[in-house]
Amino acid sequence: MELEIGKYVRDKRLALYEKDRGFSLRQVAMRIGIEPSYLSKVERGERAPLSEEKIVALAAELGEDKDVLLALSGKVGSDLQEVIRKRPTLLGKLLREMKSLPDAAVEGIIKQVRDGKW
Amino acid sequence: MLFLSNDVLLFRFPAVHPQANLAVSFQRTFRVPEDGGTYPKPRALGRFPLRLVDDFPRKTPPAWKEHGGIMLPIYRSEALWINLEPGSTVFSGTPYPFAVKVAAGKINAVTGGPWREDLNAAEQDYLVHPGQECIDGFLGPDGRARQFSAEFLGRGATREEQVTGKARYGGMQIAVWPMKRESYEEKIIPDRKRSRVAEPSAAFAADMGLARGGNIHQEVLADPFGPEVWDTENKLRCFIHLCDAWLWEHMTGEAPPDVPPKPAEYQAEGLPWLPVEYEEPITDSPEPPPGSSIH
Repeated sequence: MELEIGKYVRDKRLALYEKDRGFSLRQVAMRIGIEPSYLSKVERGERAPLSEEKIVALAAELGEDKDVLLALSGKVGSDLQEVIRKRPTLLGKLLREMKSLPDAAVEGIIKQVRDGKW
Repeated sequence: MLFLSNDVLLFRFPAVHPQANLAVSFQRTFRVPEDGGTYPKPRALGRFPLRLVDDFPRKTPPAWKEHGGIMLPIYRSEALWINLEPGSTVFSGTPYPFAVKVAAGKINAVTGGPWREDLNAAEQDYLVHPGQECIDGFLGPDGRARQFSAEFLGRGATREEQVTGKARYGGMQIAVWPMKRESYEEKIIPDRKRSRVAEPSAAFAADMGLARGGNIHQEVLADPFGPEVWDTENKLRCFIHLCDAWLWEHMTGEAPPDVPPKPAEYQAEGLPWLPVEYEEPITDSPEPPPGSSIH
């Protein structure tokens, strides 16, 4: 798990760093409020857990989806946990039902709006 | 991609940037008097329910199906404003910027001119979010917004009919352009770094348009970025059809989820009540004859 998020973060950060030196390890670490050595450990996949708050801040820095980074860390956002806690039976059943559905079918639950001819 | 979820329109541009998501909702409110005065913005009465036109193919007018988009039920005793918020599915430390064009009956709510599909750089005919978090009505250069309030098409009362002399489109139209990814990375992300380190046919009874109601204060904020930052290759737009709330059940099979504001509620807000006709069903029958008008 650590290796997965580490590589993902490092690849994204280095891609940004090529265009903007503000995405150095040190700069990004400072902006999210952790030590550069700690972010280095995260990127190397060493056992260096990040809190949800830091993962969310890191996702914002890198312009990435926070839910993707949280999932790579083995976490579920506290906002989603709250959603599930409010209707645990119904949402538990829904999520289990959706487990085998293709992405397109899951997207269909959120309805797509058609633009016609005006 | 344009989605409808929980009565919110989600304008999503994943090909531009993961954070390029804008949520648009429609808020019910009281109508302020149309007496030339300027009033404080009245309180919200809840969000309008939104439905896909495509989900009701048997009862919606042909023109609605041609336009696509969504529909909402509105009483003549209420007005609406539009809320703009960052899309909720993605974290946004700094909201992604968007240019937003709004029209009623294809009359631009900022300029008062006819709808055009592109962004007009010479005369700013759009709003910029963040900065503009809501759109209260037809916006004037005098810092006043004339509330969006519903009127039946074909009676000459909608803004569209007043400007064009025709009741052709009705409803509302919204188009959204995201900021170009490179502009976002150049203009917005550096800021974040600094802050951190440091119609339809007029003959159809249910179809409505928007009139210019009473005044409330709202200014159009100048585009702080300039027209060149907007990604004109990636536009999403939506036609919002307005249905007389008394005919919502006929059209959708669902009871309107809200009741119209009552005179006592207007009184409690310090606002004068509207003519009685505003709160009464226009027809005794929930099922008007095909092609009839409820005028």
